[in-house]
Amino acid sequence: MGRSVRIGRGQRRPIGESVTRVGVALSLAFGALAASAGYWQVVESAPLTASADNPAVVAAARSVVRGPIEDRSGVWLASSRRDGTGDPYRVYRDPVMSPVIGYASRQYGTAGLERALDAELVGLRRPDPVSDMLKKFEAEPADPQALQLTISLELQRAAVRALGDRRGAVVILQPRTGDVLALASNPVYDANGLAKPETAEDVFRRLREDPAEPLLPRATQGRYVPGSVFKIVTALAALDSGAVRPDTVFPGQREAERDGLVVSGFRIREHGGVPVQDLELAPATEVSSNIYYAMAGLAAGAEALVAVAERLGFNAPLPFVLPTAPSQVTNGGGPLPGGFKDDVELANAAYGQAETLATPLQMALVAATVANDGVLMEPRLVASMTGRDGTRTNQPREWRRVVSEETAAAVKAAMREAVEGELGRRFTTGADIPGVETAGKSGTAELGGRGEPHSWFIGFAPVDDPQVAIAVLVERGGRGAEAAAPIGGRMMEAALAELAGG
Amino acid sequence: MSAAARPMRGRAGTPDARAGVLGVIRPRTRWREFWLLVLVGITLTIGSVSLNATVVAADAEQGAALPAGALAPYRGGLLLVYLGALLAAHLAQVLAGRRSDQVLLPAVGMLGGISLLLMSRLPQDLAGQFGGLARTQLIWLLIAVALTAVVAVVVRSDRWLRLYKYTWAAAGVGLLLLTFVAGREVNGQRLTLDIGPLSGQPSELLKVILVVFLAGYLSENRALLVEQSTRVGPIRLPPLPYLAPMAAMWAIALGVVVVQRDLGAALLFFAVFLVLLYIATARWSYVVIGLVLFLAGSWLMYNLFGHVKDRVDIWIDPFADPRVAGYQIVQALYAFGRGGILGTGLGNGLPVVAGRLPIPLIHADFPLAALGEELGLIGILAILGLYLVVIERGLRIAASAADDFRALLAAGLSLVVGVQAFIIAAGNLKLVPLTGITLPFVSYGGSSLVANAIVVGLLLALSDRGVEPPPPPQRTAGRFRRLIDRGAA
Repeated sequence: MGRSVRIGRGQRRPIGESVTRVGVALSLAFGALAASAGYWQVVESAPLTASADNPAVVAAARSVVRGPIEDRSGVWLASSRRDGTGDPYRVYRDPVMSPVIGYASRQYGTAGLERALDAELVGLRRPDPVSDMLKKFEAEPADPQALQLTISLELQRAAVRALGDRRGAVVILQPRTGDVLALASNPVYDANGLAKPETAEDVFRRLREDPAEPLLPRATQGRYVPGSVFKIVTALAALDSGAVRPDTVFPGQREAERDGLVVSGFRIREHGGVPVQDLELAPATEVSSNIYYAMAGLAAGAEALVAVAERLGFNAPLPFVLPTAPSQVTNGGGPLPGGFKDDVELANAAYGQAETLATPLQMALVAATVANDGVLMEPRLVASMTGRDGTRTNQPREWRRVVSEETAAAVKAAMREAVEGELGRRFTTGADIPGVETAGKSGTAELGGRGEPHSWFIGFAPVDDPQVAIAVLVERGGRGAEAAAPIGGRMMEAALAELAGG
Repeated sequence: MSAAARPMRGRAGTPDARAGVLGVIRPRTRWREFWLLVLVGITLTIGSVSLNATVVAADAEQGAALPAGALAPYRGGLLLVYLGALLAAHLAQVLAGRRSDQVLLPAVGMLGGISLLLMSRLPQDLAGQFGGLARTQLIWLLIAVALTAVVAVVVRSDRWLRLYKYTWAAAGVGLLLLTFVAGREVNGQRLTLDIGPLSGQPSELLKVILVVFLAGYLSENRALLVEQSTRVGPIRLPPLPYLAPMAAMWAIALGVVVVQRDLGAALLFFAVFLVLLYIATARWSYVVIGLVLFLAGSWLMYNLFGHVKDRVDIWIDPFADPRVAGYQIVQALYAFGRGGILGTGLGNGLPVVAGRLPIPLIHADFPLAALGEELGLIGILAILGLYLVVIERGLRIAASAADDFRALLAAGLSLVVGVQAFIIAAGNLKLVPLTGITLPFVSYGGSSLVANAIVVGLLLALSDRGVEPPPPPQRTAGRFRRLIDRGAA
């Protein structure tokens, strides 16, 4: 061999040393195994066990008597009976609860709360972690939980009645706590037909083929162009970023009202009914000026608009017990911050058109945030769970502060003008609650010339101490003032009466 | 070098030396092993009683009358036979006067017992040609225990391993080629070889042969691998000619993946090879080169072969398709989740829906998930601990071995068990992509039990302080080394 073979004592290490190193490395590898077992068996254990696909849940659902569900005043909404062979099946009180509770069917699985809290309802998972861990030592480990909801059956019924034969959704929240008083979607369906094994097949086929899509819970999973109700998001962003103050008047605003606003060569026009004059934030909100809000959106910038919208819950599923469709300001992919294609899209989005989509629950949260002085509470649907070892209450939880108190106060004032103001009354007819100061904003979401626009209303009352916040959507309802705003007023009145009575 | 080896030098291989080894057989107590085995017996019996109580309670719920002797250990007969076999293996070593390791047998005995309980608990028609899953597994366990004892007692010299390393290598390659050509595909992997009425998975045996060859090759060339280097500019590379085996090893591993679709075995072979190379040389450069080769190979495989890509994609996000592609691993994770910290108790997990167990091939590929559900996190930690004990004992035997060959052999044998357990456990836990290799001593299956029994038997034999001393080093490098050793002494 040409190369030198150098063998010196210093270079020959004993084998034991490298064996020790390998032992340490293998111990670390097994430590990683232990850590990942801990991850799946402790950290992820609860969500894995509760998954509706989990065979334990599927198996239990066939034999266990599910826990009952009640509304906020203790009226039963769902309970169970046994059929001729002794197998349990579900009974539901009222179809108006179908978008919330969903169904539990032997053949077609589960939906709604029956799905989201399947593990709790069949008693596989308990809300108390210690009791959950020790359940194996009990004779009967399954402990079906009874649910008490924050919803009022009466309000839910009133909401569905108010929508009548129109498709749509009504969401009523308590802004201070996030409690959901109503989460209505129309049309509804009779979940009893799905729960009864004999009728399930026919009913399920009929519901699935129904063009009115009764199985779609519109309040949480229907995404609609928001139109002018989105201006409240723009107002929050523009004020909070400092780009706009309550008394801001944009240069060239009057000309733009008359001739249209030219953005990157594209002309944005005002809708009819807005006077050609300089308007500040509150009057611009009162008459729902598209030009003012396009300018406010451009002034705030894409980044600020998307940031505030995301703090309100846009672009992600909401922290809610039921699954929610994420609302969006833009469909993303554009080069501008936040994913806008160009300034035209930003300007259009600022008054709720373009690619902006929102769920009724999301818009109710926007109203609730303004009502609660800029602080957003997590929406709470399940007030408490009761099992063998007692009742566990879900406390109201603050999600985050979205904007400053001053910003919220300015928007609050503008929303008050939109309902109570001289001009506002014309745009939000019927939203005003007699004897109570009311704030709100109507919306008319144009759908590109195809038929009637979606009709929106969001609002809260009373203005100085908000008890209820609301979002109303009527699909193809026409102008916001005509369809959604009157429902909003009536439902807030009913909700205030319900809270006062209860 | 141990001082005890000195006086024997030059006489090894002569008739009187051999007579000296075989001549003295004096029984020698092994109390530590005995008491550990008693502990294993008690633990397994408690497990069996608990399993039985669960089964009786479940039957009672179904309306069946309580059978006579309701609290008798579930399939207690099987467990008793198994415990008897462990005791027999213990006694065989006592009578043979072995001074070998006393922890290994109880540790792997415990793992085997857990396996027997698990197989008793699963539906008996899952597999097994001898009257059900548990019975078949018991028969293989008995064969394995017997084999362990026989190897531990009978092997008193390592010459048959040491001198014929290239013969072993040839046998291994032959076995591999035979599987390539004549192997039968089971579950999309060509792993099974049928010889007459017997069928088995040669890769299990192959791993033992591989370790024997590597120990021989590396101990012989250790000095050269450590001290020589090829300089390429400023970089010091290992001697190029000696990289040939590494390249060959890499090619074999790739071949195993391509032809047999056996990712697990390929990973095991390559990992054991790399770690042994590191132990022999203590040079990081080999490990780095090996890892580069591994990454290159993985990248190549991922892009060229659909089954590799599928495995990796499923690993990255099994929940993307939880009903079909990701089904097995998602179900395994559900099982771990259901188990939680304390577990559901033996016999109380694995919910059956429409007469089907949640995880197909649970007895072969997912025993850890099943145990994770029924014994909980504490059970998993205990099982991982048992493997660590086996590894620690093995590496300890390696560190105190009389010469390089024995050290490398012991290290390699412990690695084969440890790395294999790691690969499949990590696959179950979604730490690495799932592969189809067995969990040593626990998975259902004869090939795996037999191969791992040989491993334990050899480790026991290597640990025996009374075994024949190694032959004197003979080669050039060896002569140098002896001079150095003399100087050091």
